[in-house]
Amino acid sequence: MSKRILVIDDEDGIRELVKIVLQASAGWEVLTAASGEEGLVAAEAEQPDAVLLDMRMPDFDGQATLGQLQANGATRRIPTILLTAAENPDPQQPLSDLEVAGLITKPFEAIRLAEQIREILHW
Amino acid sequence: MKTLLVEDDAGLAEALKNLLTNQHYLVEVAADGQTGLELAETFEYDLILLDWMLPKLDGLSFCKRLRAGGNRTPILLMTANDTHTNRVIGLDSGADDYVIKPFDTAELLARIRALLRRGNALSSPVLDWGFLQLDPSSCRVTWRGELVRLTAKEYEMLELFLRNSSRIFSQSALIDRLWSWEENPTENAVRVLIRSLRQKLKQVGAGNVIETLYGLGYRLKAEQPGVETQQSTTHAVIKPQDGGGDAKENRQSQRVSPNARSEPKTSLDLSAVWRRHKGNYLNYVASLTEAVTALQAGRFDAAQQQKAQQAAHTLKGSLGSFGLIKASHDCAQIEQAFQAKTQFSQPHLDVLSERIQTLRKTLEQPLFPGSTQIAAPCQNSQLAHLLVVDGDAGLTQQLMSYAGVWGIEIKAAGNPAQARRMIAHCRPDVVLLDLCFPDSAEDGFGLLAEISTVQPPIPVLVFSAQESLNDRVKAVRLGSSGFLHKPIPPTRVLEAVAQVAQKKRQSEANLLIVDDDPQLLDILRTLLEPWGFNLTLLSDPQEFWNALEQTAPDFLILDVEMPGFNGIDLCQVVRQDPRWSELPIFFLSAHTDVETRQQVFSAGADEYIHKPIVGPELVTRVVNRLERRHALQRLAETDDLTGLFNQRRATQDLNRLIQLANRQEKPLCLAILDLDNFKQINDQYGHEAGDVVLRRLGELLKQTFRKEDVLARWGGEEFVVALYDTTAELGLELLKYVLDLWRQRRFTDAYNHQFFVSFSAGLAEYPQDGDDWQALFRAADMTLYHAKANGRGQVLRSRPLISAG
Repeated sequence: MSKRILVIDDEDGIRELVKIVLQASAGWEVLTAASGEEGLVAAEAEQPDAVLLDMRMPDFDGQATLGQLQANGATRRIPTILLTAAENPDPQQPLSDLEVAGLITKPFEAIRLAEQIREILHW
Repeated sequence: MKTLLVEDDAGLAEALKNLLTNQHYLVEVAADGQTGLELAETFEYDLILLDWMLPKLDGLSFCKRLRAGGNRTPILLMTANDTHTNRVIGLDSGADDYVIKPFDTAELLARIRALLRRGNALSSPVLDWGFLQLDPSSCRVTWRGELVRLTAKEYEMLELFLRNSSRIFSQSALIDRLWSWEENPTENAVRVLIRSLRQKLKQVGAGNVIETLYGLGYRLKAEQPGVETQQSTTHAVIKPQDGGGDAKENRQSQRVSPNARSEPKTSLDLSAVWRRHKGNYLNYVASLTEAVTALQAGRFDAAQQQKAQQAAHTLKGSLGSFGLIKASHDCAQIEQAFQAKTQFSQPHLDVLSERIQTLRKTLEQPLFPGSTQIAAPCQNSQLAHLLVVDGDAGLTQQLMSYAGVWGIEIKAAGNPAQARRMIAHCRPDVVLLDLCFPDSAEDGFGLLAEISTVQPPIPVLVFSAQESLNDRVKAVRLGSSGFLHKPIPPTRVLEAVAQVAQKKRQSEANLLIVDDDPQLLDILRTLLEPWGFNLTLLSDPQEFWNALEQTAPDFLILDVEMPGFNGIDLCQVVRQDPRWSELPIFFLSAHTDVETRQQVFSAGADEYIHKPIVGPELVTRVVNRLERRHALQRLAETDDLTGLFNQRRATQDLNRLIQLANRQEKPLCLAILDLDNFKQINDQYGHEAGDVVLRRLGELLKQTFRKEDVLARWGGEEFVVALYDTTAELGLELLKYVLDLWRQRRFTDAYNHQFFVSFSAGLAEYPQDGDDWQALFRAADMTLYHAKANGRGQVLRSRPLISAG
């Protein structure tokens, strides 16, 4: 019943923080990817229960990654939660237009992260 | 050990009997299930080895019937049915473990030992929690004698919690225990079940019996103290009531109100992660500093603006997630500033520059500056209260800024008079006392003397800028717990304070963890450290033996696969040494194959945990193991009267310290203390007074010596002290202080007769007086004899020519 979460974030510190926090507080297995491209490959190959996606990454950013995840039939059904330091990732596009399960703003409260994810995904 | 073997295959039964008899087990054999059950119900066995396929009564029915009768004898099921479902059914029907035929005899023996080690702690037939009673033999649950109607699942869950009253069950652990695989339950099923069970118990007035531990799972609540629960265990109270409340009313009236009580949070220590990535974040800060420099020089362009804004943005999100809330807010403002402008007025630039400086300083602090909501290894209630009595406000300020991370709360007094008032008002856990006060005529010694009379004692750490042996000795005599020499970095002071404060608390467990994957070590640290364990993390198996002896762990966690020595090698070596034969050993491995499991158990492991690790489960298992081990150890290793270790434990520790001293080329001082004329004291003032004397000496030794020293009551009026990395000369000094203090202690008997007691002591030093503890002991004993012959009340070093007293 343990969950597998894929974290896509270019920042080493945040990846490791999320990994340790989710593993320690919820017992979930956490896979990590340091870029959008890497994340797409991992999502397809590993079929995690959810993806945690950082919106602002250099080169191939979160928006594009999200688009690709949804365009690919093999990853479309994996619920995606956006991780972003801005309240709304793109002012041009309201959140409701994005096909995401939810949004967690940075900074997040590490100790509550698993609970936030559970709430968003109704686990 | 008495074993019942129920096996119809006569050849196999014979072979097993031989095997077990060779291992000194007593074996009785039954050739069919019915006979076996009759034997098991009539006689007490330590273990039952049970075949699955049996004539007359099969193994599963055997298990169920035996358990239904309340018999908790461990059962090891032997089966040729190697399917997952069958094993689960076997365990569900009450077996404790299983082996698959054909089995490896080494594995069988290892599993038998593991089962026997578990012991059968469950003996009481009726389970109690306050007025709540669960009778497993009739499957009835009552509250104040009133029947509580539960579904089968609710009943099982309640029984599980009552049987494991201190254990935390994660959701997945509950699923494993309460549902079969076919039912394919979700974690939501656990929540629903918990809710319905709570509701039913609340309805009868039992209140909230099961508490939620945020992020960890569920646990039986501690019983309310002060209720007359213990007396009400008579079975006659149970009145089966029919009718009563019906299930359908449950829904309408009683809704479970949200739990008002604040639930304890999991605390996580993220400092290790922080340390590793701190450099990156400092780089971002550096690019902010560059931006300011460029602005000041008037060569700030759009590219730099974007870079600075990005840096501030990243810092805002990340620092806050590490718990640096204040720094995160500052970064948000910096981000805004860079977003809005490419030109700044000079005052604005100064403010910005200052902000960035402060930010850098915050991040550069050597300690994890995270706020207590994440980093606190101690809950608020467990904060150690430290009173700093020092004329130097600067150092006090420094201490205060670091204290939170150490779980210490500081109050400050500028002089002894102020300190007195504060101690009277609110008792601190530890006092840190300077000896000199520039603006007060009084020095610290007077206050120290006063504090040492307070009951229960408050530990005092003395610090002083003057390095004088006189002061040290005086402070020790007045009862200080430690002496620190100024100047000293604040972290060292707090470390010492934390140590003293911890000494006051329950002595915590030492865990040694060996894994070549540093990231896994970090995860384990994050998981286990908040529980107050002392962790030694080792990524190099070559260092293992040293670490083992240095830390004398209460618990060992090993990785199966490592370069050099693998975990199985290490485990075998550990088990072969009698000192560590009882040490709980857990294995971590990504392997799930039967062969690895067999190897691990035959090597002597207690549990086998798959990677990835499920945090709450691991913690629970470790805690459970330790609790049981501690309870047993306390009985077996301490002297009741003095609370010191007994001879058995002390010799183990002595051996360990001597081997360590050998490898590290350090001296060790062994002293034997013997109370003078103790028989006469007992005769003259009574045994009760004699017991008080023994207890007091135990206390004095504990107060005087360090945690790592060996302190033991060897027997009668004889005590043994062993001091690592201490020469006999130094030991002699120390024991002379102790003797001085001891001689001043006044004792009073039942008839108000006052008397004083002295002791004599003999010292020997490793390695010059002997290279094992027996030899050292003989040398020290001989010296003790000289001390006694010389007129008693003195401490002598093993060469009798150099005497003192």
